[in-house]
Amino acid sequence: MSFNLKDILTPFTAWSRVVKEPVTIKDPFTREAAPRYRGFHDNDVQLCIGCGSCEAICENQAIDLVPIEGVEGIETKSGDSGLRPSIDYGRCCWCALCVDICTTDSLRLTNAYTWVDTDPDNFIFTPGVTPKDWYEKEEGWRKPGHGYEFYSHERVHMEELHADERKDSFIEFVKGYSAEQAKKEADRCVACGICTATCPAHMGIPEYIKAVRDDDMEHGMKILYETNPLPEICGRICTHKCEDVCSVGFKNGSDPLSIRWLKRYIADQIPADVDKYKDMLGTGEIAKNDKKVAIIGSGPAGLSAAHYLALLGYNCTIFEKLPQAGGMMRYGIPSYRLPYDQIDKDVDYILSLGVDIKYNVNVGTDITLEQLSKDFDAVYAGTGLHLGRSTRIPGSEHENVYQSVDLLRNIVTGAPVPVEKKVVVIGGGNVAMDITRSMARLQMEKFGEVNVIATSLEDEEHMPADREEVVEAREEGCTIIPGYGPQEVVITDGKVTGLRVWKCLSIFDETGAFNPKFDEADERIFEGDMVIESIGQGMDLSYLSEEIKSKIEFGPRGRILVNEDWQAKGLPWLFIGGDIIEGPDVIHGIANGHRGAQSIDKFLNEGR
Amino acid sequence: MINKFLGFKPDEKLLPSQTVTEDTEIDLSSHKYQKIWLGPNHPGVTGNMAIELTVQGTTVMRAKTHVGYLHRGFEKLIERRLFVQGFPTSIRMCVAEPDTNEYFIARSTEELSGYADAVPEYANWLRMLSLEMARLAGLLRGVPGQGGTFALGIGVQWGVYLRDLILDRFEELSGARVYHMYIIPGGVRGALPDGFKERMEDNLRDIDDFIIRIKKLMFHNSVFKQRAKGLAVITPEMVDKYGIVGTNARCCGVKRDVRKDNPYLYYDKLDFDPPTATDGDVYSRTWIRWQELIQTVDLIRQIMAKMPKKGDIRCKMPNVLNWKIPKGETYVRLESGRGEMGMYYVTDGSDKPRRINLRGPSYNHAISVLEHMLIGQDVADVHAIMVSLQTCPPEIER
Amino acid sequence: MKELIEKLSSKYELQEVVYQRDNLVFAAISKENAIEAVTYLRDYEGYTHLVMMSCVDWIEDGKYQLLYLLHNPKLKNDIGIKVYIDRENPEMVSAHHLWKSVWTYQREMHESFGIVFPGSPRLEENFVVEGWDETPFMRRDFDTHEYAEKTYFPRGNRKTNDPAEYMRKKLYPNQPVTAKQRKDDK
Repeated sequence: MSFNLKDILTPFTAWSRVVKEPVTIKDPFTREAAPRYRGFHDNDVQLCIGCGSCEAICENQAIDLVPIEGVEGIETKSGDSGLRPSIDYGRCCWCALCVDICTTDSLRLTNAYTWVDTDPDNFIFTPGVTPKDWYEKEEGWRKPGHGYEFYSHERVHMEELHADERKDSFIEFVKGYSAEQAKKEADRCVACGICTATCPAHMGIPEYIKAVRDDDMEHGMKILYETNPLPEICGRICTHKCEDVCSVGFKNGSDPLSIRWLKRYIADQIPADVDKYKDMLGTGEIAKNDKKVAIIGSGPAGLSAAHYLALLGYNCTIFEKLPQAGGMMRYGIPSYRLPYDQIDKDVDYILSLGVDIKYNVNVGTDITLEQLSKDFDAVYAGTGLHLGRSTRIPGSEHENVYQSVDLLRNIVTGAPVPVEKKVVVIGGGNVAMDITRSMARLQMEKFGEVNVIATSLEDEEHMPADREEVVEAREEGCTIIPGYGPQEVVITDGKVTGLRVWKCLSIFDETGAFNPKFDEADERIFEGDMVIESIGQGMDLSYLSEEIKSKIEFGPRGRILVNEDWQAKGLPWLFIGGDIIEGPDVIHGIANGHRGAQSIDKFLNEGR
Repeated sequence: MINKFLGFKPDEKLLPSQTVTEDTEIDLSSHKYQKIWLGPNHPGVTGNMAIELTVQGTTVMRAKTHVGYLHRGFEKLIERRLFVQGFPTSIRMCVAEPDTNEYFIARSTEELSGYADAVPEYANWLRMLSLEMARLAGLLRGVPGQGGTFALGIGVQWGVYLRDLILDRFEELSGARVYHMYIIPGGVRGALPDGFKERMEDNLRDIDDFIIRIKKLMFHNSVFKQRAKGLAVITPEMVDKYGIVGTNARCCGVKRDVRKDNPYLYYDKLDFDPPTATDGDVYSRTWIRWQELIQTVDLIRQIMAKMPKKGDIRCKMPNVLNWKIPKGETYVRLESGRGEMGMYYVTDGSDKPRRINLRGPSYNHAISVLEHMLIGQDVADVHAIMVSLQTCPPEIER
Repeated sequence: MKELIEKLSSKYELQEVVYQRDNLVFAAISKENAIEAVTYLRDYEGYTHLVMMSCVDWIEDGKYQLLYLLHNPKLKNDIGIKVYIDRENPEMVSAHHLWKSVWTYQREMHESFGIVFPGSPRLEENFVVEGWDETPFMRRDFDTHEYAEKTYFPRGNRKTNDPAEYMRKKLYPNQPVTAKQRKDDK
């Protein structure tokens, strides 16, 4: 091998580095990490709702959800589990997937990275609760943005008939999801289960949404029927409290999951065939016992109670005042929202479980409650709110001033419904919207044009009606003018010509009592040939005889007091449920009915 | 020469009498042989592996590679994880260039679920940037490291400092220095920070200077030349027989580079030509790696110049918690600093992979190739041969 | 790729042919013909580079699937030859004579899946684990979590709560709505 002198000398050029400044960092302990560095966790515990998505995505199972005690503002309540993530730094790998999925954006990683401790157990800590000095650091890993998201924040659009197509008919206008749309929507669910507590019936929402993803409708139906025997109905008109607390919709600009439409999707996939239902739900053979339960009213509460009692083997008989079952669901809700065949689908199945129903029987006049208590082992009353409430303003006693509940009922029974060219509706709730939109349809049929004004005390933001109801009513040509209080029905020559209103400044006074204040200067007259009052409904308790009334207790606003088992205080055989206790809405009725059935079961079994 | 000077005459009978090959019989009971364990705790060994050497004198007669000092069953663990949860574990299968494994998981899942074309352009450029940065970080340690095996420690110190600067850039871009967890199914996890290109350019200038210095230090060095030239020659015939890839194949004239052969990401938009050599020895392997160092610096400059200024970093994909991929299988490969790496990815319709299997270049280089090459070599050269093959045990016992 | 598959299928019975990409195709060949086909591909079709061998456990079908992934450096494309072997009696013809790297793969598969390759060198030697007497660890029926619980010492200082269940206990106790909850409460 030949030696080259250059090859011997050149390496010595490395000595030139001797005179260079050293590159070593003198004090590595205070070196600030990059602004995006994935260091130690911080959690804004006031913002966090304890949904547990961080726990679900943690690939090392480093995260636990633990109850937090002694921190103000954190408690278990609707929309907040009261749990917060605790992290085991013996397992954590600081991948920050927990931050990237966080539904509330409360979790983040700071860029702190040194922590020395002598006790290994200290390395399990609850970010945001366990005191740590790095929480004040602003820098660190947060969601990257730029189109980076772990689940879609946009709801799958629900197709509806266009306003022009729907406003002249009572055909259902919400088309329902297709299989593809439903799966796409169900895919957004993070399965936290926060919704379950808020749902009055505590439905197994994440599980049936999973059934949609898995395309397993039979399993989905089983989950639905565990807690809700009216899925077709609820899938259409539920007030969906669950969606208000949905963690996927927590952040501004995020849509909550369309839980209601997914429920409807499941129920819609099963054909209306009671034998198929029984097959699927395993209710073909039910061992009957010899106990008898009478149920007054076939609304959601009554049907729900009948369903669960029937499953437990009780012989149930429903007494219904009207010619068909369903209560307010049939006689209060217009069929463009809830078609009758869908009510029949749910009701037929319940009746097929051996539930007897007697139509056109008015308890109190045709048969007394005392008689029922003798003939049956227990009585369940879910009689609902069927009496319209009047505003009692001057002129409201005029014959052309109507109650919305009466009109809605007449539309269903086929009784004559007066339709005038100009209609004014008082009320801003869902029932008011129902009658507004129903009258609009009737006007289209009769006159070919819509001229309905609905007005409410509450302003636009505080209208009690569902937002989409207001939007859809406007699409259909109805005029909604919120924020005005009715003062007088204007009567000219014995005919109703309009409604005089004042601008409403506030509804409740300092004590929180109902005491609206008006701006008299801002007076308007809404022209109308008829006025419909829709400011709420009252209960008709005339079926209770004086003797029974004397035995039970009444609370404020005439509500019957019940104990925790839904028994009327004073009369152990009488169970109460539905709108007269809670609500008013369908899902509370269903929940009451379910619990009522369980309580009746407990009550009738106690003697054994 | 020294023996002559000292007047020492070794007993020829005790030395290996012929050229040692794999077929040379050795009789351990003859007391002529010694077994030496090199590793697993040895500063000269690449990572946690051990070589069981049977030596006669200082000549290696047999070598057996032992791995398993690190085994945590990463592939098996990933089978228990959701598709999105795989990447933080996968990076442990390659410490030097972890980004490659993130890319495999991302690319395989995207391909099998039909999102391969949906990944935003900006994200793909960023992926390429992080892969090239990883290669650069690997080479900054690997090239002077070869000198280190011949006791030329100073270059290693220079290289490690510059590698740290690249890790600083990684920290800025991805939020971590070593395990970046940057490439995720659907895209990447961060846009380019403000001022990144300028700081990177500063570092690249330092590296340019380093490239010259290291050339003077190693390639104009008579000691290095004398020891590395002609050492552990890979012949073109060996390449397919042993499954040799990357620089180890290119050092003997077999021009294989996945970036050119099966272009992935936007490598077809970049201007480069993989360097090759003809000798196949340790020297030429180091030499083309040094050339690759120049090339990688150039590629990073090209990427930073050609990439879009902004854009989405991840495409819209199903909810990661509910993501299921239909039954299927694929093999995704790329060119890492050590050669072709790839991953065989099998899905079965559930929300977790059925099987993932990493194909690391070291799987062949560190076992069948190394065991073959060490035979007949001097013990003092074992480290040099090992480092020149760039063996990395995590990808063997993944 | 199409021509290659046509050529191959004229010689051997191919199943599950999937064109995964323009440059990647998978095909299953019977256990008897596989090594012959691989040799043919290597010697006559230019698939000289063995990219990798792999094994997948299809436990529900009672099969192991072996993979021989071959690369053609000229055409720059790959073919994956798959072979299904019985899971109960996992044995496969050794291919160690074809490439110098094959025995390593076979040794690994012997250790991690328990597959036997008669004649393959150093098959019984430990590869990544020493003294392993459990189920071969890459099999689907080997549960890493269970093994870890059994072998190591959990500190037992962790406890988690399911949000839905926790809220039920807190907000509406004594109101089980599902059969499962009623059972849990009892």
